[in-house]
Amino acid sequence: MRKVAIFAAIAVLAVCLMPAMAPAAPKEIKIGVIYPLTGPAAAAGRELRAGAELAAKIANSAMDGIDMTMAKNAGIKSLGGAKLKLIFKDHQGNPQLGADLAKKLILDEKVVGILGCYYSSVTKTVSAVCERYGVPMINGTSTSPTLTKRGFKWFWRTTPHDKWFTKDLFELLVGLTKGKVKGVKAVPKAEIQKLAAACEKTEWGSNVSIEIKNFAKEYGFDLVANILYAAKSPDLSSEVQSMIAAKPGAMLFASYTSDALLMIKTLKSMKAKPKLIWGQDAGFDKPEFIALGDDIDGILTRSVFLPSVVKIKPLAGQVNKLYVKKMGHDLDGASARAFTGLQAWVYVLEKAGSTKPKAIQAAANTISIPGKQLVVPWFGIKFATKGDEIGQNVLGSGLIGQYQKKGDKMTLQVVYPFDMATDDMIFPFKGY
Amino acid sequence: MEDLGIQVLKSVVSGLLMGLVFALVALGLTVIFGVMDIVNFAHGEFLMIGMYTTLLTSPLLGIDPVLTLPLAGLVGAALGVLSYYGLIRFLLRGPMIAQLFGTFGLMLFLRNLALLTMGSEPRILHKGWLVGKSFIVGPGVVLESTKLAAAVLSIVSFALVWWLINRTKVGRALTATSLDAEGARYMGISTQKMNALAWAVGGASVAIAGGLLVNFWPVEPGVGLLFTMIAFATVALGGFGSVRGAFVAGVLIGLIVNIPPIWDAMLRMIDAAGLADLQIHSFKYTMVYAIYFLIMVIKPQGLFGWKQ
Repeated sequence: MRKVAIFAAIAVLAVCLMPAMAPAAPKEIKIGVIYPLTGPAAAAGRELRAGAELAAKIANSAMDGIDMTMAKNAGIKSLGGAKLKLIFKDHQGNPQLGADLAKKLILDEKVVGILGCYYSSVTKTVSAVCERYGVPMINGTSTSPTLTKRGFKWFWRTTPHDKWFTKDLFELLVGLTKGKVKGVKAVPKAEIQKLAAACEKTEWGSNVSIEIKNFAKEYGFDLVANILYAAKSPDLSSEVQSMIAAKPGAMLFASYTSDALLMIKTLKSMKAKPKLIWGQDAGFDKPEFIALGDDIDGILTRSVFLPSVVKIKPLAGQVNKLYVKKMGHDLDGASARAFTGLQAWVYVLEKAGSTKPKAIQAAANTISIPGKQLVVPWFGIKFATKGDEIGQNVLGSGLIGQYQKKGDKMTLQVVYPFDMATDDMIFPFKGY
Repeated sequence: MEDLGIQVLKSVVSGLLMGLVFALVALGLTVIFGVMDIVNFAHGEFLMIGMYTTLLTSPLLGIDPVLTLPLAGLVGAALGVLSYYGLIRFLLRGPMIAQLFGTFGLMLFLRNLALLTMGSEPRILHKGWLVGKSFIVGPGVVLESTKLAAAVLSIVSFALVWWLINRTKVGRALTATSLDAEGARYMGISTQKMNALAWAVGGASVAIAGGLLVNFWPVEPGVGLLFTMIAFATVALGGFGSVRGAFVAGVLIGLIVNIPPIWDAMLRMIDAAGLADLQIHSFKYTMVYAIYFLIMVIKPQGLFGWKQ
């Protein structure tokens, strides 16, 4: 009888202690992902979503043949194998809507953190909401330099930003004049001395415009036209007229998808003949843009990922193969960075071993992901915790690619950094 | 000085072309308003459907995009008539606000229907008589074939509608309906049919415009808004319901948005690089709405408006 009583007492105690003993590991970890799934950047949104989904799939299941730590485990190991659940929201390119969605995700869905938002203008408002609620946000694809200049405690950015990318462009221009570019003899500086820029006028484009202006001065080029335009505009002919009239050697753009298409069509119809056209990624890196075919042969775009990267990074090839299987085409700058953004989330959660905001914050501030774990050709991911760019990954780097038609296929070849060039650069641009 | 002169010429040509495009898009809107006092918020979606009609039927039928325009017109007219008999007819019984929300709902419905069936990514025509062609006339003055064709179509359409309204019996019946629907009914005019006709004409004209524009502009489900924002300003500026007003206002807006290159040429002439920071290009539509505001203050019924 006594034995039974003791057994019963132990059993009762055990039942009482059960919840305390079992670690409070959640079965799934909700991450809110806010991207432009409809609207003018919907094409980008589709790639971003697919990139994030692929990273989640690799993190949630153990996969062979991918040399990445997160592919070895099913779920987050330090959280008892908890699986990531992505909750996608569509901000339509609208900063106010983005902020509302972030609030909903935080208050209603109780997400652990946020990933997004591609548009720098939306990232700006969404990160402000996260900052107010003390919810961590990782940004993989917004490149306005100001985003990491606000001293936020809950915001980390994996991608290099436009200041770096724009500097790359000017390094390329200087390289052209010095004969450093593969397959091009030194170009007299007078040929590309005059530059004309047209950037869309939201947070992202207007900052690119400022960077172009600053670097043009620093590197000794003349910026003869520096135009801001509305991406949602029915007509770009006045902008193009002004650019052509300024007789620039190089034309520089920061455009989203629809306006990039309209811009190229307008340049063509107005018979623009610059020696060089460069786009700051985004619209210049989308399947619809590539579908323009002959019209983009010789155009440059900065990127952080080009399909030809697989030649120098086997891991990129392994992940790209899965992406091609999912989407039917290669990873691009948007999808590769969305992938990397979510990958950063996985490594941060793994390091934190908890879903508590404070633990995630501490993990993000001390994390160091080596470059060989990434599909993008960076040195790694390590966030600045002091200085004037808090939360910025200090180990990123950019590429400049050129569209080159090979047979019937439009390819994107690396032309910068010079030592990574995959083909001779076409110079000058043939003009329209 | 010579540069400036050439730039003025270029801007005027470019402005006239674009202005006629704006006018063409606004035509249907002003016809419907003129007859029924209803603002059709779904107007841009009719344009978008016209664009998709050409984009999809041209490769399907194996004919040039331009030849599909009658089809786009038919689709637009059918859509107009369907909207009238299926929705607007009932809305007319309600207050003004119901009519506003009704067409707004139609807009959301059509846009999201397109999103569902067509996907969200922008699409473009790659082949066609008008695609990627332009002519250089004079010193750097460019005529883009799509805009030129749209401009010609615009003039023809306006002439036709003007003739229809001012010179035919049906036109007199339309005018009577718009002036006093009840009186018109007493005179034996079927106002229902007149209203449906206005919707058919409005739908057809904007869908044909769409079919033509897709030779140059990328189409996506939200494309209508780009043009209708301007179309609303055009109609309001010209005077609600005034066909002539829409024409003049469209051209005026086209010219206004082409002022920035003239400004830039002037800056180059006087070498005032500091003023370039004013970013006048990003304010070109602000200028349009500012002038619209001025006209509204001075002449609330618009330039050629006659309805109070």
